[in-house]
Amino acid sequence: MHATSILSTWAGLLPAQHEAAGAAAQVAGAVDGPAIAALAPLLPLLSFVLCGLCAAFKVRSKLPAWITVACLAASFAAVVATTLDLREAGAGSVMVTPLFDWINYSWGTEAGQHFRANFAFHIDSLTCLWMLFVTGLATLIALYASEYMSHDVGMGYCRFFAAFSLFVFSMACLVMGDNLVLLYLGWEGVGLCSYLLIGYFYKKPSAVAAAKKAFIVNRIGDLFLALGIMLCWVHFGSVEYREIFARVGPSLELLREGKVDQIPGIVQLIPLLLMVGAFGKSAQLPLYVWLPDAMEGPTPVSALIHAATMVTAGVYLIARTYPLFLLSEYALPIVGWVGALTALLAATIGMAQFDIKRIMAYSTVSQLGYMFCGLAVLGSVGAAAHVFTHAFFKAMLFLSCGAVMHGFAGQLDLRKLSGVAFMKGWGVVGIAMFVGCLNLAGFPVITAGYWSKDMILGDAFATPGMQAIGWILLLTAGLTAYYTFRVFFRVFVGPKHFEPGDELHAHDDHGHGHDDGHGGHGHAAGHAPSHADFHPHAPGWAINLVLGILAIAAFAAIVPLMTGGDNGPWLASMVDGSSAKYLGVAASQAAHAAGHGDGHAHATFFGYDAHKAMMVVSGVVGFIGILIAYLLHYAGRTTAARSKADSLLPAFGPLATAAQHKWYVDEIYDLLIVKPLWVISNIFALIDKYVVDGLVDFLGWAPRAIGRSLRPSQGGELHGYAIGMAGGIAVLVLIVLLVTF
Amino acid sequence: MIERLAYLWPEIALFIATCVVMVMGLSRTYATRKATATIAALGTFSAAVLSFLTTPDGGEIEAVSGQLYLASMVPYAKTLIGAVATLLLLTMAGTVDRAEEADIAKGVRSFDPLRSNRAEFYAFFLFSITGLMLCADADDLIWLFLALELTSLPTYIMVAMSTARNRGREAGVKYFFLGAMGAAVFLYGFALIYGAVGSTNLNEIAVAFATGGISSLGMLGVLLSILGICFKIAAVPMHFYTPDVYEGAAPQVSGFLAFVPKTAGFLSILLICGAVGWNYVIPPDGVSPLATVMPSAEGTQLPEVLRLTLWVIAALTMTVGNVLALLQTSVKRMLAYSSIAHSGYMLVGVIVGPGIAADSFSGNGVAAVLFYLLSYGVMNAGVFAVLAALERAPGRDGEPREIETISDLKGLCRSHPMLGWPMVICCLSLLGLPPLLGFFGKLPLFTAAIRAGEIPLVLVLGVNSAIAACYYLKLAFAPLTEVADDADGDPIVAAPFRTRAAAAVISAACVIGLALGGNLLMQGARSAASYTEADAIKSRVPQANAAPVDRNVAAH
Amino acid sequence: MTHGTLSLLAQTGFPASMAQATLAHYVVVSLLMFVIGLIGFLTRRNLIIMFLCTELMFQAAGIALVAFGRFHLDYTGQTFVIFVLTVAAAEASMALALIVLLFRRKESLSAEDWQELKG
Repeated sequence: MHATSILSTWAGLLPAQHEAAGAAAQVAGAVDGPAIAALAPLLPLLSFVLCGLCAAFKVRSKLPAWITVACLAASFAAVVATTLDLREAGAGSVMVTPLFDWINYSWGTEAGQHFRANFAFHIDSLTCLWMLFVTGLATLIALYASEYMSHDVGMGYCRFFAAFSLFVFSMACLVMGDNLVLLYLGWEGVGLCSYLLIGYFYKKPSAVAAAKKAFIVNRIGDLFLALGIMLCWVHFGSVEYREIFARVGPSLELLREGKVDQIPGIVQLIPLLLMVGAFGKSAQLPLYVWLPDAMEGPTPVSALIHAATMVTAGVYLIARTYPLFLLSEYALPIVGWVGALTALLAATIGMAQFDIKRIMAYSTVSQLGYMFCGLAVLGSVGAAAHVFTHAFFKAMLFLSCGAVMHGFAGQLDLRKLSGVAFMKGWGVVGIAMFVGCLNLAGFPVITAGYWSKDMILGDAFATPGMQAIGWILLLTAGLTAYYTFRVFFRVFVGPKHFEPGDELHAHDDHGHGHDDGHGGHGHAAGHAPSHADFHPHAPGWAINLVLGILAIAAFAAIVPLMTGGDNGPWLASMVDGSSAKYLGVAASQAAHAAGHGDGHAHATFFGYDAHKAMMVVSGVVGFIGILIAYLLHYAGRTTAARSKADSLLPAFGPLATAAQHKWYVDEIYDLLIVKPLWVISNIFALIDKYVVDGLVDFLGWAPRAIGRSLRPSQGGELHGYAIGMAGGIAVLVLIVLLVTF
Repeated sequence: MIERLAYLWPEIALFIATCVVMVMGLSRTYATRKATATIAALGTFSAAVLSFLTTPDGGEIEAVSGQLYLASMVPYAKTLIGAVATLLLLTMAGTVDRAEEADIAKGVRSFDPLRSNRAEFYAFFLFSITGLMLCADADDLIWLFLALELTSLPTYIMVAMSTARNRGREAGVKYFFLGAMGAAVFLYGFALIYGAVGSTNLNEIAVAFATGGISSLGMLGVLLSILGICFKIAAVPMHFYTPDVYEGAAPQVSGFLAFVPKTAGFLSILLICGAVGWNYVIPPDGVSPLATVMPSAEGTQLPEVLRLTLWVIAALTMTVGNVLALLQTSVKRMLAYSSIAHSGYMLVGVIVGPGIAADSFSGNGVAAVLFYLLSYGVMNAGVFAVLAALERAPGRDGEPREIETISDLKGLCRSHPMLGWPMVICCLSLLGLPPLLGFFGKLPLFTAAIRAGEIPLVLVLGVNSAIAACYYLKLAFAPLTEVADDADGDPIVAAPFRTRAAAAVISAACVIGLALGGNLLMQGARSAASYTEADAIKSRVPQANAAPVDRNVAAH
Repeated sequence: MTHGTLSLLAQTGFPASMAQATLAHYVVVSLLMFVIGLIGFLTRRNLIIMFLCTELMFQAAGIALVAFGRFHLDYTGQTFVIFVLTVAAAEASMALALIVLLFRRKESLSAEDWQELKG
């Protein structure tokens, strides 16, 4: 695959010039946005402050949860209002709501001597799309957490909801910021909140380790993102999207004319740097290792931050700066291959895990890989659609797993649970889980997940040079269907059986009294759990309500995907109306239909139109996956611990074990990176101890030594002072005279 | 000459207040005597207001317009002096005759005008401030000499009478004798300058130096003058007296000493340096070896000799002050040494002068010095006010004992929050911690020196700031730490003078408030430092155009 | 000797003859007085003598001022001297008061008795 040829191929797919020019004009001529848009980030901030006050006043009730839910719901309403305003402004319009001047500094009048990064919100359809599901899901999950975290009412509760609100604020800054610096602020903010919330159970060593791991791995990506932003400023003289997009024009023009060689190298470097930042935040190879460990955090956090919203920030970043990515020969192919390999790798690991929450974590990594592939194969609509549908069904899957974990004392091992859906009070959870699994597995036609996944697969096969990625993704789709239903068939159906986890109460491992309404279950703090006296407690109304709403929403997500107005489906029109537009197979198809794409006809799937073919093929693949899972894990299974799959394991030999050990990636990282760094750091520690400390000691000692040597001059005798003064004058004057004459 | 009075309204106000205070202090009525402090405060306050309102810029009065090259400095300096003096006066309450006045109030003894010193103390205070303001006014070496002496002479007595202990006497005698020696040195320097130029008028000296070059005699005179004045600012090699005098005097008087003579010295040094250098021209003929050692950029510097001398003095002053302060456990000695170091910092600004970028605050060394004087005055008043507001139960001599060591301050924030927190804030500000006033005082010194290319000096300044951080942090954290359980000695109580604590609180408030609203003051300092070049002066000083030979002819 | 001759002599440099007192002579005398005063100040321990030595230094400056004034044919120098004398008188009164104060405490005039403050 010759990269330059890819670029020239893409050049052929570019929309007609007047279209692009129109888009550029829309981008440049932004109108003032509605003030209500500013409420979207500010209300979570308010909630953060109020929760902080709750902590300060030692509130011991569910007040912080209700504050958070109310603020987030209001924030959601603000986003909806903003979206409606944007629709009124017309398709493809951009609005900017300035809040205040943040950084606005000039040191000269010439171009490039001005740095502006204000607290202003860039509102276009992409922003609205992201904010809709961020605030909507955050509201629901906060409601869920109000019950889920109830064992921790008190300081922990305040802390949780404060960090939760701060997360939503940061995410809103990330998504809504009208410049890369504000995005970076949000980027770091969500990273911080993620750290705080993963380490929520800070007395648990594994949680602390996971929090640190997430933080450090993310730092690597953040470093590159920061470099990318700096380079952006160096080259474009601005960090504001509108300015950048306006100045990308000449390079896009070069691309369109096929003069790929003349695009400045620095412009091609920017997306590569941004890309690494996106890989870190969105848990892609090689930086995905933090996400599975991040499941140490409370489940609502896993659902919101580590499944639905924060981890899609990388996708958002690329979608937002899509014009830049189009200019690099390497960026999008790398994104595609990294995404595809991540998707496959994570799916294989997910197949071999027993911890259901971890399986969901690996599936998140895998699905994020899908989204990146979607971006890479010029299907930003598909990527955004998958982000959108995935947010709902994956949040629901996590919340269902969380409900199980909550009810079974932290039990997450699928070998120790069975038939949960048929237990009393667990029906809603079972249904939600079923809906989520159907979506994730891509059950044909009726699930939103099927349609969004199809878009990506179709785009992959339709884009020249990307078929290999398409095949990998297709394989992954089958694996996904298998491991998803493996969980469902093992845990939720089949013979009823359970073994409680080792936490008497989910998460209650830092000694809070937790006898809050669950006292009737016959277990108390400090009392060793035993199977005999353990009764799972079914989820309460809040959890069931949220799961119910999400189950409906997961299905309803089809609606914006499939229906819409004149500009195609709603979701597609939203993505097309933003900076993620420009290319996209949808546009090129239109061009193709108009007889525009001669010589650049996009690829097909064995002669069939890729999108139509995928509807059938991926559906069949999904079916096969589910079928295998049914045969291996449901049919004829009589105990929780064993299934027919176990007997097949030896056939795979070391592969199964390696997959179970996550392909030893953590161990390899440990050997290749952590150990050498540890050795180097020890060397530096020695240098520090003997050289630097010695120097510092000397620096501390030298002034004192000088002082001690000077101290006798202050002997207290008048004549000593007089001689010192007269001598000083004499010496100075003499030196002056000697030097000058 | 009546226009000249326009310059002097603040001094006249101070003088009237002084006379009133001296007379009222002899009254038999306690209330009248007590009112002297109020009158004195009114005097300084009205002097500050008058300085702000009435002192004309040098450009405004053509006929007799004072010194012309730093003309705008006068109103700024006098306003600053009046303001800080008012603050310092608050700390002076009840300094002398405390026991006597208490006895008289109790009726134990009757009032004896011969033995009453309190009003005299205030009068000396006011005289000294008057002298300080006159320093700023000076356009003549005679005037400058008299003003410096008027500033200093009362302080000698104030030191000696501030406490009844032997230490106060010792401090007084050291201060007086060494001060007299310093005065003789700068007087001799003045004489040599007069000999070189033939005039004592600073404008004429400036023009003569700028057009005729600086003779060796003149440069020697300048060197001796500055070295003599170094005594006032406590710079090496004239710094020896500082710790002993500060320790021996009452804390409020030490605070006074750290501001008043220092300000007088710096104003004088600025005036002399302004007359000698910064925009001197190396004349084509008759280049004196003393005037320049190596070629330097014309018009932006001091003559090379003077620059190097001041460079060495500044570097030594900072270093000596800081390293000796590092070893101290006595609060007052530590502050005395640090006051030496602060003089060293300010000398950097003198060396830089108005600089190339004189119209920006960050590049103007003179503006930096003027602003630093203000910030140092405020912070310093705060720290010493806290020391003055604390005391221990009376010792054997019947006088309440002072705060001695740093550990005496421990737990102050808890026991006396209104004194402890000002101490913390002022110390952190003295250390130069952003965003306090001290930081904004020090910053322009750095930026101005960097702009002028004095990189080695900036390094010395930086290293010294780091050393200073060690002991200032020790001092700042002492009030925050808890008292050790085995603390011995009498408990520390607040002195029965509310104004001293008020001065501490006001200072701390200023340290924060002026830092927040300091832009205006910085602009003020910048415009105060606007420097008129000798060419412009020449056109306004008609008699200076005449060469000495012509004047000889005219004398016939 | 008229003004003119003196100034002419002064301007043309130092005359060879020792018979005529020129500016240089006066300056040397004043410098000597200053140094003698300084040395006395540094070596004597008696506070009164020390004070007198500072007076000597002041008057050395006075001599220089008068000489320079004469040299420049300018009266400012003489005016200066009058002020210097006044200040010296003020200092003298202060010095004596201070010395009396100290003498009352320690019955001694030696400066060496006062070195409690140090370090």
